[in-house]
Amino acid sequence: MELLRALAALCEPPGPETDRLASLLELGETPRPEEHADLFTFQLYPYASVWLGPEGMLGGEARARIADFWRALGTDPPEEPDHLATLLSSLATLQELGSAAGPGPARDRLRHTRRALLFEHLLSWLPPWLARVEELGTPAYRRWARLLREALAAQAQELGPPPETEPLHLRAAPPLPDPRTEGGEALLAGLLAPARSGLFLLRHDLTRAARELELGRRVGERRFELEALLGQHPAATLSWLAEEAETWARRHLEVGPATGASARAWSERATTSATLLAELVAEADGD
Amino acid sequence: MSLDDLEKRVSAARAETEARGETFYPGPSRIHLAAFPPKERWDDWVELDSKAWPERVEKRYMLVPTTCFNCESACGLLAYVDQESGQVRKFEGNPEHPGSRGRNCAKGPATLNQITDPDRILHPMKRVGRRGEGRWERVEWDAVLDELAGRIRKALREKRHNEVMYHVGRPGEDGFTERTMAAWGVDGHNSHTNICSSGARCGYQLWSGIDRPSPDHANARVILLVSSHLETGHYFNPHAQRILEARKNGAKLIVFDTRLSNTATHADHWLATQPGSEAAVLLAVANHLIANRLYDREFVRRWWNWEEYLATEHPAVERTFESFEKVLAAQYEGYTFELAAAESGVDEATIGEVARIVATAGTRLATHNWRSASAGNEGGWQVTRTLFMLNALSGAVATEGGLFPNAWNKFVPRPIRLPRHPESWNELTWPVEYPLAMNELSFLLPHLVDEGRGRLDVYFSRVYNPVWTNPDGFSWIEMLTDEGKVGLHVALTPTWNETAYFADYVLPMGHGSERHDIHSYETHDGQWIGFRQPVLRAARERMGESVTDTRQVNPGEVWEENEFWLELSWRIDPDGALGIREFVESEKRPGERLTVDEYYGWIFENSVPGLPERARAEGLEPLAWMRRYGAFEVTRKVGKVYEEPVPQVELVDAAEDDFGRVYTRSAAPAKLNVVPTGAPEPDAEGRRATGVKVDGAVLRGFPTPSGRLEFYSSTVARWGWPELAIPTYIQSHVHPKTLGENGKVLISTFRLPIQIHTRSANAKWLDEIAHTNPLWIHTSDAAGLEVRTGDLLRVETEIGYFVVKAWVTEGIKPGVVACSHHMGRWKLDGHGQRQLMNTVGLSQEGTRWGLQRKKGVEPYDSSDPDTRRVWWTDAGVHQNLTFPVHPDPISGMHCWHQAVRVRRAEPGDAYGDIYVDTEKSREAFRTWLAKTRSALEVSPDGTRRPSWLIRPVKPVAKAYELPESDR
Repeated sequence: MELLRALAALCEPPGPETDRLASLLELGETPRPEEHADLFTFQLYPYASVWLGPEGMLGGEARARIADFWRALGTDPPEEPDHLATLLSSLATLQELGSAAGPGPARDRLRHTRRALLFEHLLSWLPPWLARVEELGTPAYRRWARLLREALAAQAQELGPPPETEPLHLRAAPPLPDPRTEGGEALLAGLLAPARSGLFLLRHDLTRAARELELGRRVGERRFELEALLGQHPAATLSWLAEEAETWARRHLEVGPATGASARAWSERATTSATLLAELVAEADGD
Repeated sequence: MSLDDLEKRVSAARAETEARGETFYPGPSRIHLAAFPPKERWDDWVELDSKAWPERVEKRYMLVPTTCFNCESACGLLAYVDQESGQVRKFEGNPEHPGSRGRNCAKGPATLNQITDPDRILHPMKRVGRRGEGRWERVEWDAVLDELAGRIRKALREKRHNEVMYHVGRPGEDGFTERTMAAWGVDGHNSHTNICSSGARCGYQLWSGIDRPSPDHANARVILLVSSHLETGHYFNPHAQRILEARKNGAKLIVFDTRLSNTATHADHWLATQPGSEAAVLLAVANHLIANRLYDREFVRRWWNWEEYLATEHPAVERTFESFEKVLAAQYEGYTFELAAAESGVDEATIGEVARIVATAGTRLATHNWRSASAGNEGGWQVTRTLFMLNALSGAVATEGGLFPNAWNKFVPRPIRLPRHPESWNELTWPVEYPLAMNELSFLLPHLVDEGRGRLDVYFSRVYNPVWTNPDGFSWIEMLTDEGKVGLHVALTPTWNETAYFADYVLPMGHGSERHDIHSYETHDGQWIGFRQPVLRAARERMGESVTDTRQVNPGEVWEENEFWLELSWRIDPDGALGIREFVESEKRPGERLTVDEYYGWIFENSVPGLPERARAEGLEPLAWMRRYGAFEVTRKVGKVYEEPVPQVELVDAAEDDFGRVYTRSAAPAKLNVVPTGAPEPDAEGRRATGVKVDGAVLRGFPTPSGRLEFYSSTVARWGWPELAIPTYIQSHVHPKTLGENGKVLISTFRLPIQIHTRSANAKWLDEIAHTNPLWIHTSDAAGLEVRTGDLLRVETEIGYFVVKAWVTEGIKPGVVACSHHMGRWKLDGHGQRQLMNTVGLSQEGTRWGLQRKKGVEPYDSSDPDTRRVWWTDAGVHQNLTFPVHPDPISGMHCWHQAVRVRRAEPGDAYGDIYVDTEKSREAFRTWLAKTRSALEVSPDGTRRPSWLIRPVKPVAKAYELPESDR
C-alpha cells in the first residue's frame, strides 16, 4: 500500500521531501521541478479525464464519472478525483481497508470496489500513458513508471482476470469525427482526444511530425500546432496521422500490463481512426 | 529489490517519520491535507520571494499559528514571520485547526492590512479640550493605569459598583474579561448581544436550555437556513465549507432570504419571505409534519415536556401521548400553506414542496438562524423557536447531520481561578421591565441614563463602537458628551472609530496576531480550543529570547487585553483589601502578578483533557505545544448527551417531580468544560437538578427546568406571557398591515461577504472590494418613484431620514428595500481611518441633529504606497443613526427592521445626509417600553429574572431579589 502512496506522491511536483522517496524507491536520482514540469505539465498530464474523456481535456464527463464512483460508495469525492495521485492513493486506501476488514462481505465489497477502480479508472488509460513516460521521461521518471507498471500488474494479478467488457469511459466516447460530416474543427478536437482517436498525440509528437514532414512548426497549443501543420500540407499531415494511428493500433496491444478488453478497445479505436484518416488522405490526394 | 521489499521499506520509513511527529507525504499531495507547509518545517520554511521575480530569491520564514479576530468563528491563521525582518509577511490558514481546517475567508489574510494599517493607533492617547473636540495628547501607559485604577478603586470603596461598566462588541474570547468584572465584584459586563443574536438565542434557550445552535451541516440531508448564512454568516468559513460538502453529497439547501443574496443563489429552494413572516412559514412546515404524522413520534414522546404542557394548559385532557398528539395537531392546524403564503408572499406550492423536503430529512436536518429574521422583527425570537421545532419534531437533535446545542460542541476550559458572583444588580443593563431578556439591554443605555436610573463613573468601550453600530447613535453622542452621565470614557480599540472620538482615553489594543485569547466555537460535532497569541512574541521565544510583556513585540505601544486587565486589576487592589488581588496573583510566585504564560500554562496543563499527553509525546510542555500548533481538538463525535444515563453515584437522596425531573443531593461532578448553559433551579428542598426520568431510566436530559426539550415554556408562562408559552407566530412590527400606504420595510442588517461590521474598515484589500451600501429597491418600486440606479433617495424613519443612492434590482421583494449596515463609516476632521471613512460635519440644534458628508475617500500619502492608489470615493451612508430603539418586550433584542417611507431626494439633499430628532428617539423608547411586562408586575417569586437563564456575570442569588419597596 505504501509503495502505491509513495509512487502517487512522486507524480506531484518535487519538494524537499522528494529526495527521501526517490532514495527509498531507488530511482537513481531525485526528479527536479523542471523535469516534472516538462513531463507532466507539457506532455503527459497526470489526470485520467484528459485521456479518457471525449473532450480530451481536464474535467468533463470522465472526471464526473470518476467523482460519481465515490458518490456511489456514499463518500465525498476527493478534490481532484481523477488526478493520478488521488487514484493511486485511493487504491492503496481501499486495499488497506480490505486488509483491516477481515474475511466477510465487507472485505468482498472492498475488493470489488478496488477492482472496479483499478480496471475502470486506472488501467483504462495508464498502459499507453506509462509507455509514453518511459519513452520521454528522465531516467528517474522512467524507473518510476516501470515501478508503477509492476505495482499495477501485481494488483491486476491479485484481483483476477480483467473484465470482459471495455471500460465505460471508452464505451461512452464516440469515435473520431468525420470532418466531411462534422467539420474540420471537430476532427482537430477529436485527434487530440485520445479516447476518441486512440492516439496519444503529445507536443513531442507534433514537433516530430513537423521535423519528419519538413514543415514549419508554429509554437502554441497542440491544437494550434496541429492546425498549422494541416494548413501547410493537409495530405502529408493526414498521412502522417494515419501512420501514427496504425502504429497505435499495434502498440495498444503490446503495452502492459495486458488488460484484455481495454487494450482491444484502444486498438480498435486507433484502427478506426487509421481507416478514416486513410480515406481523408485519399481524398486530399485526389484534390 | 522486489515490490514486497520496497513496500516494507517505505512502510518502515513512514512509521519512523510519523513517530517523530513529522509529515511523510509532503507538498500538494492528494494523499492527505498536506498542501500546507509540513508542521515540522514551520521553524524554517523557505519560499521564493514573489517580489523578486523573475529572480529566484529565497525568503525564510518562521510559521506561527494564531486565531483570526475579525469575526467570531475563530478560524486558524498561520503567520509567516520573515526571519530577516522579524515582521509578519502574510497570513494563511492553519491546517492543524479542527474548525477551519486550513481554510480562511478573505478577512483572515487581510489581518496583514490591519497590523500594517498606517492609520492605526499606536500609543495611549488622552483627550485635550472638550470631549469630542478631536484633540489628543500622547500619554504613558503607567499614568493611564494609575488613574484608572485609582478611579475604579474609589468607586468600589464607595460602593458605587454599578458605575463601572465594560461594554464589549465581539468578545473574541471565552470569558476572560467577564471573569475580570466578576473579580472586581461589579455587574458591569455589557455586551452588544441584544443588537445581535439575543432574539435567536431566546428561541434556542427556551427549547433546550442552551442558547446557540450547532448544526452538523456536513452530514445533513436537508439544510434549512433562515438567513444569508452560507455567504456571510456568523460562522461563514467553517460552516460554508461544511455546507458545500453536504451539497456535494446530495443534500438539499433551503434558504429563507428576502434578498437574492449569494446564499440564495446557492439554494435548491429559495423562499423570498416577507420580512417578519418566517415563523408563519416554519409553522406551516411543522403543521405538515404533524398533520401527516411525518414526525419522530418516539423522540417527541420521550423528549418533549408534553406531560407538563397537558397538565398545565389542558388539565381536563387525559395525560397520554396520544391525547397530546391530538392537542398538538389542533394547536397548529391553522398554520396552513395558504396562511403561510398569504403572510410571506411565497406561493403555496413552494412552501408545500419545502415542507415535503424537510419531511425527508429525518434525523439529518441541519437548521440555522442567528440574526436575520430573529434580529429584525418584534417577536423574532419565535423564529428560532419555530425553526428548532422542526428539529424537535424530526428527532434531529444531536444526531449526525442534525442540530446540536452549542454547549456540547464547544470547550471552555476552567481557568486557574473562578471569581465569586458579584453582589450587585445593574439596572442600567438588566432593567426590571425585561425579566426575560437574554442579554444586557445595552442599546438602551443612553435612555436609561437619561431617565436617571444611574450614571457611569468609568465606562470602557472595548472593540466596540456603539455610536456607529447601535441604533440611535445621536443619543449615544448626547450621553457620551455629558460628563455628568459618563465620568470617564475609555475606548480600548486597535483603530479609530466613531465612539472613540467621544472618549477621554483611547488605548491601543492588538489585532488577532498581537494578543492572547482562548477561543472555542461550535463548527461541527466536536470540541476544540483555538489559541490566539502575539505571533512575534512566539517567534522571538522560539529563537530563544524571553518576552515578558507583549508591548515588547507589538508595534508602537500597542498592548494586549489580558496583560492590560491583569495589570489594571493588580493596581486597583494593591493591598488585597478589595479581594481582587487574589484573582490576579501568581500561584507559582506569591506576591507577584499572574503572567499570561502562567495563566494559559495552567489551563493547558490542568483543564484540557488529552492536551498534556499529546504535548509530551512530542517532548513539549502543553503551553509550548499550543504556541506551536495553535489549536487542539479535545474530542469529536459528541453525540446525544441527553441520552446518557446519570450514574448512580450522582443520585444520592434523589427526588423526582411530577414530570420526571430528577434532583439530587450529590455534589455536582467537577467540570473542566465551563461552557455556559442553563442552570435549572433546585427543588424546594435544595436538591440540584441532575437528570430526567425517561421510560424508567434517569438520563442526563437538557439544562431546562423540566430536563426535557421545552415545547411548553413554563418560564414564559409564569413570567407574564402565557399566550406565548409554546412556539407561535407573532406578527412583526413591520407587518404589511402596519406600514400604511406607500410604507416599506427596510432590511438593514445584512452583511457584505468580505466585511465585518466596524472591524475590517482598516483592511485595504477588503475596502477595495466592498466600500459602499446603496439601497436595494425593486424595479417596480423604482419605476413608481421614477428613479434609476445611482439616483438619490430619501429614506424616512420614525426619527429622521438618510439620503442614499438607489440600486435598482430584481433581487429584492417589491415593497421591501435593503441597505447593508457595513458601510457609512465617518470621521470628523482629524483622526480616523482614511480608506473607508467619509469626512463629515455634525450639527445640533437642541434635539435635532444633522450629519453632512464633507468629502468621501481619496488617495493619500502614508507609509503604505498603496494609499496613493485608493481609487474609490464612496464609503456609503450611516443609516443606523436614523433608527430608533426597538427592544423586543420579551427577548430584549433590538428589532432592526424599519418601517420607512422612500421617496426621491429633495432639492438640496446631498448624498450621505442624515437628519435625526432625538426627542423622537425618546418617544420611540417610551412606546416600546410600554409593551413590556415588568418583573414588578409579573415576577412569580419576587425576583428580577428566572435564575436558570444564562446570564453573563451572574450575581449572587440575593441580588436577584426585587427590592422590597418595589414589590
